[in-house]
Amino acid sequence: MRRVKLAEDHINAKLDITSEVCPITFVKTKLKLEQLKTGEILEVILNDGEPIQNMPRSVKGEGHKIVLVEQLGDKYRLLIEKGE
Amino acid sequence: MTVDYNELKKGGFLKQKQKDTFIVRFRSIAGNLTSEQLRKLAELADEYGRGYVHVTTRQGAEIPWVNIKDYNNMKKDIQDFGLTTGTCGPRIRTVVACPGSEVCHYGLMNSKESAIELDKVFFGRSVPMKTKIGVSGCPNSCAKPQENDIGFVGAIEPILDGEKCIACGLCEKVCPNKAISLAESKPVLDKSRCLLEGNCISSCPVDAWQEKRRGYLLYAGGKIGRKPRLGAVIGELIPEDGVTDAVEKVLQVFERLSQQGERIADTISRVGTETFKEEMNLVQFENNIVTAEAVRQSEAG
Repeated sequence: MRRVKLAEDHINAKLDITSEVCPITFVKTKLKLEQLKTGEILEVILNDGEPIQNMPRSVKGEGHKIVLVEQLGDKYRLLIEKGE
Repeated sequence: MTVDYNELKKGGFLKQKQKDTFIVRFRSIAGNLTSEQLRKLAELADEYGRGYVHVTTRQGAEIPWVNIKDYNNMKKDIQDFGLTTGTCGPRIRTVVACPGSEVCHYGLMNSKESAIELDKVFFGRSVPMKTKIGVSGCPNSCAKPQENDIGFVGAIEPILDGEKCIACGLCEKVCPNKAISLAESKPVLDKSRCLLEGNCISSCPVDAWQEKRRGYLLYAGGKIGRKPRLGAVIGELIPEDGVTDAVEKVLQVFERLSQQGERIADTISRVGTETFKEEMNLVQFENNIVTAEAVRQSEAG
């Protein structure tokens, strides 16, 4: 929980991909993460369905870490910690 | 010249509607042809066909518009080029497969290697009716194994390491079939809803969801044609080295139960999936392949 609180307090970048579809959702997230340094936090707002099902595994596959997943109505909010 | 059409069909030469004209089918495994094979196919299409290759729905290549008078020359060229023709009629057909775990990030099993193995053992074998085999590396089923007489679907069974779990709830959200729910602050898996695709494992940020077992789900009884039917699961989490035995069992049961003109789908529709499964359990392999009938007799005696 401390880790979540810490991430919430230190969001370095924000991204809303609710108007995008696969694969642009992941491309935009990837590009945004590339601009960050290891350990920095990216907030991503994404849709229910395919985006929330696919984004976590793709992000993990690239070596990053999901710190928080939060449901906001029919959308989701992810906090991603950039990996090595 | 007299033409034995059945012999030609067996060797991948299919009669076209035009007189003395044939389509030549080539064998491909798991939908892969090397660049060298493709160059040779192009040469053959220029030399004997009309300069094009038809890509079949089963990942094969066919050269149409071959005249029967060129049969011997073309056959020799095919051999010299190291290509193999396909097959047709009541035989085991080309094994289709998705790219699988070798290159696909959804892949759970190496469908390409399994297809190569299955092709090696079964391609061209005579069976009561045409029998098609398809292999997919994961439940996304891109190679449509459920449309095949015999199909394999790569699958993974998850298990939770409760010590590692931080109850973040991500698995509940990413599960495509809502098989996981967060109860009493830990995720609980409803196995009856689990699709065995492993998204919980691939998504879990702390690796609390782990692999318990992986293997292929075995499907049988799929077909398209005029009366399409999807295959049903008749075997669970078969390891990579078990795929040929699984097919052998299905074929033995099919050969024993099939009636004139039936494909596996028809036989299963008639006898029922459960009966077909029970018959498969009776097939045993020892040093020699023992038929289900022999097992039954030895049990009765």
